[in-house]
Amino acid sequence: MLSVRDLAKRFGEIRAVDGISFDVQDGEIFGLLGPNGAGKTTTISMISGVLAPDGGQVLVDGQDVWARPKQVKRLLGVVPQEIAVYEDLTARDNLVFWASLYGLRGAQRRAAIDRALERVGLADRAADRVRTFSGGMKRRLNLSMGLIHEPKFLLLDEPTVGIDPQARLAILEIVREVAASGTTVLYTTHYMDEAEKLCDRVAIIDHGRILATGTLDELTRLAGEGELLRLTGSFTADALRERLGALDGVEPRRLADGFALLARRPDGPGLAQLLPRLLDAEAGVDDVAIQRPSLEAVFIALTGRALRD
Amino acid sequence: MAATLAIVRRDLVRWARNPGRLVLLLGMPLALAAIFALAFGTGGEAGLTVRVLVIDEDGTALSEFLSGALGSQEDTGPLDVEIVGEEGRAMIERGEASALVIIPEGFTDAFLDGRPATLRLIKNPAEQFLPQAVEEALRAAAVVLSQASRTFRDELAEFSAMLAADHSPDPVAIGAMSTRIAAKLQTVEPYLFPPVIELETISADGGDESDDGPSMQAVLSLVLPGLAVLSLLFFAQAATRDVMEEREHGLLRRLLSAPVGTGEYLLAKCVSVVTVSALGFALLIGIGRLAGVAWGPPVAVIGLVLSASIAASGLLLLLVSLVSSEMAANALTTIVVMVSAMVGGSFVPLPALPDFLLPVARLTVNYWATSGFLVLIRDGGGPADVVPQIGVLAGGGLAMLAVGAFRLARRIRAGDV
Repeated sequence: MLSVRDLAKRFGEIRAVDGISFDVQDGEIFGLLGPNGAGKTTTISMISGVLAPDGGQVLVDGQDVWARPKQVKRLLGVVPQEIAVYEDLTARDNLVFWASLYGLRGAQRRAAIDRALERVGLADRAADRVRTFSGGMKRRLNLSMGLIHEPKFLLLDEPTVGIDPQARLAILEIVREVAASGTTVLYTTHYMDEAEKLCDRVAIIDHGRILATGTLDELTRLAGEGELLRLTGSFTADALRERLGALDGVEPRRLADGFALLARRPDGPGLAQLLPRLLDAEAGVDDVAIQRPSLEAVFIALTGRALRD
Repeated sequence: MAATLAIVRRDLVRWARNPGRLVLLLGMPLALAAIFALAFGTGGEAGLTVRVLVIDEDGTALSEFLSGALGSQEDTGPLDVEIVGEEGRAMIERGEASALVIIPEGFTDAFLDGRPATLRLIKNPAEQFLPQAVEEALRAAAVVLSQASRTFRDELAEFSAMLAADHSPDPVAIGAMSTRIAAKLQTVEPYLFPPVIELETISADGGDESDDGPSMQAVLSLVLPGLAVLSLLFFAQAATRDVMEEREHGLLRRLLSAPVGTGEYLLAKCVSVVTVSALGFALLIGIGRLAGVAWGPPVAVIGLVLSASIAASGLLLLLVSLVSSEMAANALTTIVVMVSAMVGGSFVPLPALPDFLLPVARLTVNYWATSGFLVLIRDGGGPADVVPQIGVLAGGGLAMLAVGAFRLARRIRAGDV
């Protein structure tokens, strides 16, 4: 288990990480979800023993990362947000170097490199220089370097930033496979959908503090248990607001002329009943979308703003 | 230690994977030297001044002409010709000039009579290149005078008689002689006859001198040590730049997330920089050896290469530790490397450095390394003769490496990764 207790880090006047605590259970994928600047990378840096915390403790399998750095680092595989590879070397050169740092030698190292390349689909490009790779391929190599020594814990810091959707799906699939093989994963992201699709549990972090932690279901309940309705059409916000006042079980989340985001409680009216009561004869509806409550809604509920803000 | 070796190995592999970088770093100093030569060489102001002593035992118009001719040879650069007395022999032995030319008594008479006449050139044995320039100038003057002697034998005899007479020359005779000279000048073919004026070249220490002109080896021996040191600094600059590159591209942070201590990383970088610098330096020295440069005893050369590499690495690592970005590191290190090359003897040979620059030059790696090589090449020194240079370079280099590594370690531990 990876256990973070009251971890804190300050840069001058800025509290980058402000006393956060969470546990990552063996074998799970734990997401750290938050906007840019929330403190995710600083947290990963402290967990991986790169950045000394001002306070708090990180225990990896019961060992303090700052008391026994080398032993703990051997248990960790770290994939940074940057594509931290040597572009003038080949993919194999990069992996040889990284494997050497973890003490792999000879046949054991060759096997580990072949396995890592196979895992990320780069076996046929092993002898090519990294500078000839696409962004997605570099990301996959970046990931393979964190996997080369078969770590017990894999720390991924926004590993899909800046790549196309197809490459992103490939990375997510690899992470699932790694987790399925028993590796514990700590995954930071600012993409809601990644956290929703990938993580067993998620901690929402903002301004260096953890706002909530739980499974997707546990978190979405924080934003209400009903559905979200998105309406677009030819109506005014004032007219809609007036009619909503007379309805039970439906609350406005966002209203604008031609757009409405409404939260409907489970005991609220059904769609067929709702629409005629919301819209007058002159109003028209072009599109209606029903959304289950998401992490986006949770983040809004917890912070009062959208994640991308 | 395994991590340190892995990092060093990786750095060396990166260099091996980038032969273009290697060629660029070896070629850059040579290109820069050529640019400087083109920029400053034509006017002569920045060129070398070769001090030549002349003992004129003959004391005639011809010998004075010859002394002047030495100082006006355009091809050999400016010669600082100084007419001296017998003290000139002691001066050349003390190494106070590049060459001593002796115009013996009776030289003019022999010349006018068409008899063989000999000029004596005594070269400073402590110098190789500059005395060659004097020898070439003198040889050119001797050829011109020899041709004149052969071609105008009759006219010179007549002229000699006119000088010896106690009355004014007959204008008609002068006119007739002038007409004959003009006619001969139109038909004469230069370099048809063997010279009647011999140039006898000896060394001030009594050694034999070959009769060859200035060799490529002599030129390379003068300029290559300085250029090799400049190249060394470029290698060290490129190697230390990796430290900043790794930091700015997240590689350092990633590296430190592996089981690698800060001390191990910095030790590896020091070893890498020194190794790369020494290999690059050794490569240039090997190229010079193939071109015929006699660098000196291998032990002394290895000592200088290693100590200079340590010094260059220390200097560059220290500079990198003073700045916070790759761009700033590039700017600072380039300025320091270029300035130290200019004042330290890489662009201007150390013997030609003005005295007022010497205190500044002594603060540079270039000065100590170049002067060490000159001791070996020019003075034929041995390992014991370059101990001061090796000591200064190694001692200063290790001190700078330690300070630079300490500063970088402090920054890394403070989270500046």
